[in-house]
Amino acid sequence: METILLLTHSEADGSLPKAALEALTAAKTLGGSVTAAVFGGDVDAAAKTLAAAGVAKVLTASGDAFAQPRYATDAAAAAALAKGAGAQIVVAPATSRMARVAAGVAQRLGGRIDTHVTQLVNEGGPAIVRWYYKQRIEATQRRKERPWVLLVDPGAYPAARATGGAAPIEKVEVAPPASRTTVTGVKAPTSGEQTIKPDAKLLFVAGAGWTKKQADGKPNPEKAEKLILGFIRASGASLGSSKSLVDQAGEGQKVFEFMSHLNQVGQTGSTPRHPKGLAACCHGEEPHVVGWRFIRERRAVNLDPNCGWARGKADVLYVADAFVVMEKVNALLGAK
Amino acid sequence: MERQSMAVDIACVGFGPAMAGFLTTLSRRLADAEKAPLESSASPGLPLQVVCYERADDASFGVSGVVTRARGLRAGMPGFDASQIPMASPVKDEKVVWLFDHLGASRRSGALKAAEAAMKAARLVAGAAPEAFELPYTPAFLNKHDGFIFSMGQLMQFMSNQVLATGTVQIWPATPVAEALLGGDDGKAVKGVRLVDQGVDKHGSPEGAFMPGMDVLAALTVVADGPVGAVGRQLDRELGLPPGSHGRRDWAVGMKFVVDLPEDTTLQPGTVLHTIGFPEPEIFGFLYVHPDRVASVGIFVPSWLESPVRTSYRYLQHFVQHPYLWRHLQKSKLRSWGAKSILESGRRGEPVLAGDGFARIGESSGTTNVLTNSGVDEAFTSGVQLGEAVIELLEAKRPLTREHLDATYVARRRKSWLESEGRVAERARDGFQEGVLTGLIGTALTGLSGGMLYLGDEPGHPADQVVPLEQFWAERIGPADLAAIRKECEAKGIPLHDAVMDAAGWPAIEHDGNLLVSQQDALLMGGKVQAAPGYADHVVFVRPELCRGCDRKVCFEICSAEAIRPGDGGVPTFDREKCVHCGACLWSCTQRLPGTEEVNLQFRAGTGGLHSAEN
Amino acid sequence: MSGFQIVVLGSIVPDPLQTLEPVSTPQGPGLKNEQMLPAVLDPWAGHALYEAANLAAKTPGSKVTLLSLGPKAKLQQVMMAVAQKVPFELVALDGPAGGFTDSHEVAERLAGAVKALPGLDTSRLLLFGGWESASRGAGVTLQMVGEKLGIAEQFQGVDQIAPQADGSFEVLERVEGGKHQVSRCAGAPAVLGWATGSLPEPKNNPQVGMANMRTVMPALQKAAAAPVTTGGVEFASVALPRVQRETRIVKDVSPDEIAKEIVEWISKE
Repeated sequence: METILLLTHSEADGSLPKAALEALTAAKTLGGSVTAAVFGGDVDAAAKTLAAAGVAKVLTASGDAFAQPRYATDAAAAAALAKGAGAQIVVAPATSRMARVAAGVAQRLGGRIDTHVTQLVNEGGPAIVRWYYKQRIEATQRRKERPWVLLVDPGAYPAARATGGAAPIEKVEVAPPASRTTVTGVKAPTSGEQTIKPDAKLLFVAGAGWTKKQADGKPNPEKAEKLILGFIRASGASLGSSKSLVDQAGEGQKVFEFMSHLNQVGQTGSTPRHPKGLAACCHGEEPHVVGWRFIRERRAVNLDPNCGWARGKADVLYVADAFVVMEKVNALLGAK
Repeated sequence: MERQSMAVDIACVGFGPAMAGFLTTLSRRLADAEKAPLESSASPGLPLQVVCYERADDASFGVSGVVTRARGLRAGMPGFDASQIPMASPVKDEKVVWLFDHLGASRRSGALKAAEAAMKAARLVAGAAPEAFELPYTPAFLNKHDGFIFSMGQLMQFMSNQVLATGTVQIWPATPVAEALLGGDDGKAVKGVRLVDQGVDKHGSPEGAFMPGMDVLAALTVVADGPVGAVGRQLDRELGLPPGSHGRRDWAVGMKFVVDLPEDTTLQPGTVLHTIGFPEPEIFGFLYVHPDRVASVGIFVPSWLESPVRTSYRYLQHFVQHPYLWRHLQKSKLRSWGAKSILESGRRGEPVLAGDGFARIGESSGTTNVLTNSGVDEAFTSGVQLGEAVIELLEAKRPLTREHLDATYVARRRKSWLESEGRVAERARDGFQEGVLTGLIGTALTGLSGGMLYLGDEPGHPADQVVPLEQFWAERIGPADLAAIRKECEAKGIPLHDAVMDAAGWPAIEHDGNLLVSQQDALLMGGKVQAAPGYADHVVFVRPELCRGCDRKVCFEICSAEAIRPGDGGVPTFDREKCVHCGACLWSCTQRLPGTEEVNLQFRAGTGGLHSAEN
Repeated sequence: MSGFQIVVLGSIVPDPLQTLEPVSTPQGPGLKNEQMLPAVLDPWAGHALYEAANLAAKTPGSKVTLLSLGPKAKLQQVMMAVAQKVPFELVALDGPAGGFTDSHEVAERLAGAVKALPGLDTSRLLLFGGWESASRGAGVTLQMVGEKLGIAEQFQGVDQIAPQADGSFEVLERVEGGKHQVSRCAGAPAVLGWATGSLPEPKNNPQVGMANMRTVMPALQKAAAAPVTTGGVEFASVALPRVQRETRIVKDVSPDEIAKEIVEWISKE
């Protein structure tokens, strides 16, 4: 049996990132026992959580020098822990902090790395599933080279639960290397309404139809804005858009203040991972729908029964006026 | 920010088959280590500076059929080996096919119906192809038996790679030329070119990082910007046409799919089908089979189809479903889509071929031959002829004046098969002004008589050809129904053609997600149509009041990409991110600017469009 | 002598919207008709290149080199689009650029080529690249090249670099929650894997293009062979996922009922 290590950092407050517990679930699917390792400034709470989550033991590397998320010190700590564990397979969560160093760590271990792992499988040996070409091609692949470092995408696995019991926690001394980098802070986004919510349960995609002429022959962008924002607030959904809707801003047409190209889904936009997606006033053309790759349940509201959604791209197509339907939806959500 | 300027020796506008011929010839000479180097006058001490500006985002994004005899191609490219070019195939089997109207929706004159009846009778003897009559032979003027089928995109990619690899010329994509710079004592000399402005809004006003289009000065400007290119048309306007030239009167828009044929297809690479008769008698079609079970299939919608709701995409969808073709195409999958205008005036519409500081090659110089249905080889050959002329002049250190270019380039052209065959073709299609049957007979007469015989009259301005809706459809749809269709479509802000075709008896298209898809899906999945931001709209409606008063708005009916759409108050809207630069709108606009040959719709040079390298 | 030596690592990827289909080749998985597909410079590598040029313009004595491993003919095409944008010198390696090639082999080749750059001064070296590519999409190659060059100041998901007068610089990296981490680095050498940065795409500049051609064409002509493979990866399967669903089309139902059904669906766990 190969030694499997779950390698992670702690958060600033010493707790464990949720993505690390997800990666732990992933690591356990390989069978056999899993050792955990955590590094950071303060790792106490993180180590205890891991110790109670069904690992064989927990290695830690901590201290002020390792508090800042930066390459030199994190890579040193991570590599030391991995070497100390003698790990053949290293599973880590793809947080920004781990992603910064994981490949360098693999290099230092003389091993190999694969990232954006969405699944680990055990078919006569460990294998992974990952996407290529911006989530358009899916591959199942394995390597014989060891150590093999695997960076698991957040949201790919459920978080491991506490199993009771407490594995031993062992501190590893790591001499911090000199670093010429100092983290001076974190900057929050300046925009007002936060409409992009990667952790929401639902993605609401608004299409260009919201700005088109309505039944009375006139467009009604104010009403559209009210309905879209109303739904986002009432449902907690994340807001996505088709390319044609956000492109309208470039034409000097009224587009919604709370929308930008960052909301775009598909084509040159993003490929979000919400469990549910609802599209309204969106035609469901293929290049847009490609961005829905990871949306598990899909429904659409569109007046055109022949739109793209009708042909296998959605689970349910409601042939109806989205202005009317969404108003009623918002009313029902408000009444809850 | 100030407009910058730089100087080169030869500035080239457009990279298509003609420019490929020119630059292949010139770069071969420039790279020839055995010959005396040709030095730059613009940058003394450096080799000749030759720069080509192409508006499309890559040299491989062009569109055509293509089937060609490749005479000029083979002569101009020593060691030419088609097997090195993806999607190329020698022609193996060629047929002309008359397609019957199995749906009964097509418009056919009495004479045509009689001709069809005769063909149906002949079929009983000759053996039945489904709903079609295969001509027993392909007329000599049409046949390509010794030629090749190509993908235009792959051919251009191959040629541009060869040219670039010599390191002696530069081909810059995504760099449209807005206009030629005119000067000299009479204002008729070309001093170079001006590129389009960048960092502007849709109206052309500076926004963000504005960069005015650079001026590129050159002793010679080679204009090869194709049938709808802005620079060629500017020169026509500013310099006038030669006496007797009939200008740009005959047009068609070609629209095609490239498909993956089903695994069990019986179609062999090298198969060439030319079709007539369906979906409308005016619409010719084609099917060419490339290697590896790939086929190009398409139609041509001509300017002499006088319907104000003439359109291409839906007709193409009906075309591929004709039983003669559908038996091969039914389970095929769309892999590419594209459209382009064809300037069918040919030799008869020839502009001024050379002047002080410029020369014209390719389709916009009248090389397309509608009798032989070929243009690529002719365009290429004109480019080779100019290349040879320029080399001759540079080696003799003679200036690139009108006189010298006439004596070398134009003289070569006049002495070649380009001229003689172009002359034969001049009136080949005039019969179609009268009717389809007359047109077909006329073409055959012209072809078989070497150009001596022809039928019909010369066409007028295309803007004047389009007849009112009620008149064109009178035999199939009553005026009350047409009025209702107009009213409904205007309320919905959509073009008329679908409703009109429905009323005329054309069945609805059932999308299958493989070959039959929505027009926007064809644009995006097939054509990969994209456009970078920061450029002005290149389709402009000059006088909005003319649009408001227009009763035959063919522009948004014929637009290949649904980029031009009905707008508020009667002025169409334009979405440059959808436009594929086919230019069909240019020759379909029915509003002439009073007292001129120009129309209200201006078609300028712009970036973006098709991003498929397979058309 | 001041100024940075900015080396940008980046290669080609298929033009957006192209239809991609995996095929098996003797060299491992590839894309159907890969040589026919139009290519562009990887978008994040492009951002890195433009940011490099921007930084070089602000920091006198700086130079930008684009180091690219890809098939020579396709690199040539892509260079005609990229070379009009910003001034840079090209160093080309002739080899496969598909997403299925092994990042470790590619990193080895690139690191070797960086070390061999004439006049390389690692104390002034900034290694730029995209934080991941639109082909392999792994985000590891740049990092490993940095490691092989012994550079332990590395940043990923960069959106901004602000050089200071003393040669140090401030970097903004994307972190969770739509935020940016702010770090100060005392100076070169460093590795920066760029997200989208903050610059608009530079305009096409024919003069820049002509100047770049002086090095681009010779670089392509003398590109050394770099035959990278799929390395130690065994591909058990490479496929396009199935995407067809059985759509239930709900017609002729009142908006009230539709709204009710939608709310129920949203609220279900």
